[in-house]
Amino acid sequence: MPTVIVAHFKTNIYEYLEALQKSTLDKLYEEPATCLAIFRLLPSLARQLVMSLLFSTQIMSKADLRQCIKNDKESMSKFEEALDKLQKLHIMIEQENKTIALNSSFKQKFQECLTGGGTHQSFGRLYNKHSQSNSHKLPDIKLLDEHAKTKWEEILHFMVGTDRMNSPGASVLKVVTKANLMREKEGKGLEITNKGFQFLLQDVNTQVWAFLIQYLDLASEMLHMNVVEVLNFFFMLGSLELGQDYSVEGLTDTQRQLLDDLTNYGLIYRQKKSSKRYFPTRLATTLTSGNSAIVSNAASSNLTDDDDSATEQGFIIVETNYKLYAYTNSQLQISVLNLFCNLQYQFSNMVTAEITRESVRKALKHGITASQIISYLTSHAHPQMKKRPALLPSTVVDQIQLWEMELNRLVITNCYLYKEFRTFADYEVVLKHANTLGVVVWSSDSKRMIGIAEAGHERVKAFIKRKIVQRRSNGGDTTSSASGTPAR
Amino acid sequence: MNVLHVNNKTSNISCQRHERLEGYLDQDANLLVLIIDTNPIVWKKSSFPLKEALRHILVFINAHLALKHDNDVAIIASHVGVSKFLYPIPTHENSDKTIFPNMYQKFRVIDEKVIANMSALFEDVDTPNNYPDKASSMVAGALSMALCYINRITKADEIGHVKSRILIISVSPDSPYQYISIMNCIFSAQKLCIPIDVCKVYGGDTPVFLQQASHITGGKYLKLDMPQGLLQFLMIAFLPDRYNKKYLCLPGEERVDFGAACFCHKKIIDVGYVCSVCLSSILNLICSMFGVYKT
Repeated sequence: MPTVIVAHFKTNIYEYLEALQKSTLDKLYEEPATCLAIFRLLPSLARQLVMSLLFSTQIMSKADLRQCIKNDKESMSKFEEALDKLQKLHIMIEQENKTIALNSSFKQKFQECLTGGGTHQSFGRLYNKHSQSNSHKLPDIKLLDEHAKTKWEEILHFMVGTDRMNSPGASVLKVVTKANLMREKEGKGLEITNKGFQFLLQDVNTQVWAFLIQYLDLASEMLHMNVVEVLNFFFMLGSLELGQDYSVEGLTDTQRQLLDDLTNYGLIYRQKKSSKRYFPTRLATTLTSGNSAIVSNAASSNLTDDDDSATEQGFIIVETNYKLYAYTNSQLQISVLNLFCNLQYQFSNMVTAEITRESVRKALKHGITASQIISYLTSHAHPQMKKRPALLPSTVVDQIQLWEMELNRLVITNCYLYKEFRTFADYEVVLKHANTLGVVVWSSDSKRMIGIAEAGHERVKAFIKRKIVQRRSNGGDTTSSASGTPAR
Repeated sequence: MNVLHVNNKTSNISCQRHERLEGYLDQDANLLVLIIDTNPIVWKKSSFPLKEALRHILVFINAHLALKHDNDVAIIASHVGVSKFLYPIPTHENSDKTIFPNMYQKFRVIDEKVIANMSALFEDVDTPNNYPDKASSMVAGALSMALCYINRITKADEIGHVKSRILIISVSPDSPYQYISIMNCIFSAQKLCIPIDVCKVYGGDTPVFLQQASHITGGKYLKLDMPQGLLQFLMIAFLPDRYNKKYLCLPGEERVDFGAACFCHKKIIDVGYVCSVCLSSILNLICSMFGVYKT
């Protein structure tokens, strides 16, 4: 059975934050950049509730808040869900006298975020150009994108198993094994797991966050890094400007340690290890925004410097005859396609493939679900496809789901078969007893056979043995057997 | 040619059907077009200075941008005799990209630009001086500019991702001279399903036209008794986007005064005649377009 599928990167971070303790969350809320990032993760009704209470000085109770919501079921359920999430993250705290209020440090810092006050420098300290003697050539956005793409794809290539010269660094391998994306094979080397296959099909933001959260766990356990500082740094990265250099001063020691690892993942670029400044790449600036983080080859030439919300150019066209055309040259994307389709021809700018039953079954056996395949195709669909009323042809979508359901046609349950009952009465007695125990998997009156689940086998066996003993003792007693009283 | 629809009911239904077809989603980016009435004479009369109101409005704009990364805003100032864009203004010179570490970059850029452009607007005293009717502001002009901007953005957005709305912060009374233009803008907004919300900060008499605007397009009209609480009112009543509005009960006025202005003398009338050819409302039996008509 496939493990829990992470649909959206928000659920990833959200579950991690919920698991933190109140004191850790309070410390996190002392940085306005973190408050803004966590605020954007909330459901939209929750965001509205926070904004309504942010600048008010009135004391409100839950009933007061409930009055603002319309009275129908859907609104009420959304309200309860929003309130629940806010309380779990300790943003809204219910006090003893039934009033509800915002977490005071969150309230103050978020107000500062909106009004621009304070001296926290939480949005990234700029590098002071005057103190630099010889100016190196500043990297332009193209270089940053290249760097991000190569580093991140290195990791993905390593997972897929394409032959490449350089494998990623040791810290990457540690995170990958810990996240159960790959496991140790006999002999040397790592092989990819089911969870790893699912990981490959997700969009870049989800992948990056899944990685970062595993890194957080690893960091807090093995390297004893301060979780609060690491999280603050991640959220600050999400609010930085692409192409701008930021200074290393003002970062704590934990955060400086982070810089090396983050350079390996492609989130940050540094000119050399001891450089006093760092440049966030597109992977970093789109951490909290939900926009696509990797610019494919086709799109990068059209971007200007001001455009920081690059939409990933889709490249897949799916036809109703199950043929697939992918306009890409990237080895990684071709390898990912190979997971669930039959590649046929490769041309100079595209690859043709076919979605067949065998190819989809191969993917399903690896633990990939039909919905993941469909969401991968949807998210990478060519802009031409977006002009159709339904993005993917419904025939293909339905067929992939049917192939998945085929695997579930037969459900195997282990059980013990009881057969060759001498009389119908015996069969009935055992069946009744087994029904009261609730262990009957299947029974057939005409064939006089009962299938008993493994859990109940011992008890039914004991019951039958008792009955046989009873009958023998009854049979020894001639008076009752002559009258032919059936054994109860 | 006057294009004036008398019966609104059919257009309302088409807008509702449009709404159901479009379906407001949580993932939509929201474009808020803010029209600020900057008539300096009327602001001086009110107890609440424009500078203070501007502070509240800027925090409100930041709040709107904070809700979602994709949210965007456009600000138009409706001045005496002229209406101007405060943001976004395409600049040719390379704006200096100084990063301010204490504030989120997007907030800071927009706030600075709005303040700079508004100061530039107030420095120009000739246009307001030359305009005859100094008690009102160019709401009609601002509305037209807003609708054109929204149209451009909607056309450029192919996926249907951006949902827009208009918010007018008004202090000056209605000008009957602008009746026809405002009504035309309102009906275009209704066709495009763009709600117009109105927040009346100061003003004794009820603005008939703006109330009708919010009623017809499905927005909210709110008159503030306490202008000092402007930010809180804005946050509660005017911050929720179209997706959230489905679930919230928002304050607003239900009673609408359906007044109209006559086309010939530009007076606000309750009872009058309608020309059977061009459907314009007139005071006497003489339509300025088509001559004398006997009913």
